Amino acid sequence: MTMRYSRRQMLKTAGAGALALTAGSALGRQAWAARESELNILCWEGYNSAQVLDPFRQSKSATVKAESLTNDPTMINRLRAGETNVWDLINVNNPWARKIMYPEKLIKPLDRAHFEPYFAKMLPEFKPPYRWAMSDDGKELLGMCQRFGPYSFVVNTDKVSRATAEDQGWDLWNDASNAGKYGVLESDDWNVFNICLISGFDPFRPHTDDEVTKFTDTAKRVFKGAKVVGDIATMNQALISGEINFHMTGGTYSASPARADGNANIRGVTPKKGPMPGGKGGVSWIEVTSTVNNPQLSPLATQFLEYVQDPKVAHTVAFAEGTFNPVAQMANPDCFKLFTKEELDAIQWDSLEEEMAASIEYDIVPDYDKLLDIMTAAKREASGG
Amino acid sequence: MAELVDSASHMAQPQGRPGVNLGRWIAAAGRRHSLPILLLLLLGFVAPLLTIIGFSFMPPRTFSLWQWPSLENYRVIIEETFYTSFLWSLGMAVVTVAILIAICYPVAYGLAKTFGRWSNLVTLLMVLPLFVSENVRLYGWVLFFIKGGVLLGTIKSLFGIELDSILFKPGTIIFGMVYVYLPFMLFPMTLGVSMVPRDLVDAAKDLGASRLQIFREVELPLAMPGIVIGSLLTFVLAVGAIAEAKVLGGQSVIPVTHDIEIAFTYAQNWPLGAGISVMLILIVGALVLAVLRRFDLDRILGRR
Repeated sequence: MTMRYSRRQMLKTAGAGALALTAGSALGRQAWAARESELNILCWEGYNSAQVLDPFRQSKSATVKAESLTNDPTMINRLRAGETNVWDLINVNNPWARKIMYPEKLIKPLDRAHFEPYFAKMLPEFKPPYRWAMSDDGKELLGMCQRFGPYSFVVNTDKVSRATAEDQGWDLWNDASNAGKYGVLESDDWNVFNICLISGFDPFRPHTDDEVTKFTDTAKRVFKGAKVVGDIATMNQALISGEINFHMTGGTYSASPARADGNANIRGVTPKKGPMPGGKGGVSWIEVTSTVNNPQLSPLATQFLEYVQDPKVAHTVAFAEGTFNPVAQMANPDCFKLFTKEELDAIQWDSLEEEMAASIEYDIVPDYDKLLDIMTAAKREASGG
Repeated sequence: MAELVDSASHMAQPQGRPGVNLGRWIAAAGRRHSLPILLLLLLGFVAPLLTIIGFSFMPPRTFSLWQWPSLENYRVIIEETFYTSFLWSLGMAVVTVAILIAICYPVAYGLAKTFGRWSNLVTLLMVLPLFVSENVRLYGWVLFFIKGGVLLGTIKSLFGIELDSILFKPGTIIFGMVYVYLPFMLFPMTLGVSMVPRDLVDAAKDLGASRLQIFREVELPLAMPGIVIGSLLTFVLAVGAIAEAKVLGGQSVIPVTHDIEIAFTYAQNWPLGAGISVMLILIVGALVLAVLRRFDLDRILGRR
C-alpha cells in the first residue's frame, strides 16, 4: 500500500510533533524540579543490587538508579566534575565526607536530631557522635554508617598460617624468599598505605625525604616480586589455585566471596603489630553515605538512608551481590539473628572485634599524590619483569 | 542525482554579501542533509577531543579548563618513565598484528577460495565469540591457563607432570590480543584475498610461475588492500587494549592505556591523563598516516 502524504499533512504532523516535544520538555522540567519519585545513588557495589533497591522502588513507586564504582577518588571526581546536580546520595569510605567532600561543599549535612539515634543502635564503636560521620568541628552529621571491615592482607592459611601471618605482618613483603609468591590487588590508594607500612612508617602523616626514598625502594621491590596485580576475582582465583600464597590489599571484603564459596582457608589477616599509633599495623574502612549538595535533592535521599537501617535491609546490604561485609546494625539482635553460621564465617565474625581493635581507620595520606606517582612509576618499571 | 549535487556546489560559490552567501552555502542540499551527521561528529567526536587537548595543557591535578595553560604535563610524560608504557603498547600491538597476518592469511585464503560451502560455518565460528563480552572470554582463558586449571590440571592428572604457570606473562597478553582481535584482521583480509582474480593466478601458472612466485608477485600485491586495512584496524585496537594486560597479564605489563586510567582515577590527575592520551593519539595518528602514505587509499578502497 502506498501512502500519499501531502505537504499540508506533513506540516500538521510536524506541528503536532513540535508541540508534543515542547510539552514534553516542559513536563520534564517540572519533573526535574519536583524529583519526588526519583533517586540517583553513586556507591560501592552492593547498594546498586536489585535485592537492595527493588523493595524501595516498589514501596515508593520511584525510579531509583545506582551506579557502582570501585574506588573512592573516582566517585569524588564525579562530583567535582559537576555531577552534584545528578546524584542524591554518595557512598564512600570514612575520611572523604569529613575531610574532602564537606569542606568542598559537595555534600549536605543531615538532620542530626533525626539520624543520630540510629547510631545509638549500632555496634559500640559507632557510638554517637561517631567521629567519621561528623564534620571536623563536630557540629554537623555528614552521613550514615553501615558496612565496615578490617582491610590489610589475605593469606591462604594452607600455605601461610594465620599465626605466622599475624606475627610477621607486613614483613611478609620484606622477606626476599616470598618474591613471586604474592599478588597485589589493583587498589592503588590502599597499596600506597601498605607500601608505607612495609617500609616501616605510618602512612597517614607527612613523610620525610628519607621515608620517601625508602617508599620508592619498597615500591620497586614489591611490584618486581608480585606474581600478579589484579581485581578481587583474580586474587581469589589465584589464591585458591595456588598461583599465589597471599596478597595485599585485602581483608574481609575481598576474601568473603571465596570464603562464602567454601574456601575457609582464604582468610583476611590483621597484623598484630605495626608502625602506626599504638603500635597498630592494620587498617580498616567504614562506609559513610551522605546526601549530595544537589540543588534539587530528591526527598527520597534521606528516606533511603532510613530504609537501609532496617534490620532486614541491613542484612541484605551485608550480603548483597559481589562482596560480603559486616554491618554496624549487627548490634541489633533483630538484624544479627538473620545471619546464618555460614554467613558469619564468610565475614570472619569470629575475629572481627579483635581485628578492628588492631586496626586504625583509613585516612587521607597527606602526600598521597607524590607517593602514588612514585608507586605507579615503580609498577611501570616492573613491567615485563 | 549528479546534477543535483552539481547545482548544489554551484550555489556554494561565494558571491555578494557574506551573510546571504553563508545562508545559501548552508542551504545547499548536500550540506543541509549532512548537517545532522556533522553536528553528531562535532558533539560526539570533535568536542571531547578538543576538551582532552585543552585539559592536557592545564596545570597538573586540576579540574577546570579555565586556567593558564602549561606544558607541565608533557614535561612529566617526557621526563618520567612513561616511554616504557608507550613502548609496551606499541610493541605488543606490532607483534599482535604480525601474528594475526600469519594466522589469518591461510584462513582468509580458505574462506575466499577453497572452503566452498564450509565458508559460512567457518565465518560463523569466527563471528560467534564477538557476541560474548571480551572480559567474560578473557576470564574464561584465565580458568583455562591458571595453575590447576583446565590445561595444567589436565596435564597433571593425565601425565603427572606439574608445569609452571603460563598466566600473568607478556606472552599470555599477546595470546589474548591475538584471540580478541582475530576477526578484525580476518574479515578485511578475506575481502582482500577474494579480490584476487582466479584468471590472473591461472595465467601466471600457465606462464610457468612457481607457487611462491604466484603468491609473492600476484596474490599478495592484489590482496594487499585487505591486509593493510585489517592491519591498521587491529593495530589501532591493540594499541588501545587494556583488558588483556589486566586480566591475562596480571599487570605484569603496564600498557599506556593503564597509565591513562590511573591518571584519571586514583591519581585524580585529569591533565596528566589527557596529556598521555594526546601523545598516544599523535603517535598512533602519525604511524597510521605514515603507512597510508605508502599506500594509495583510493586504490585500497577500490575507487580506482
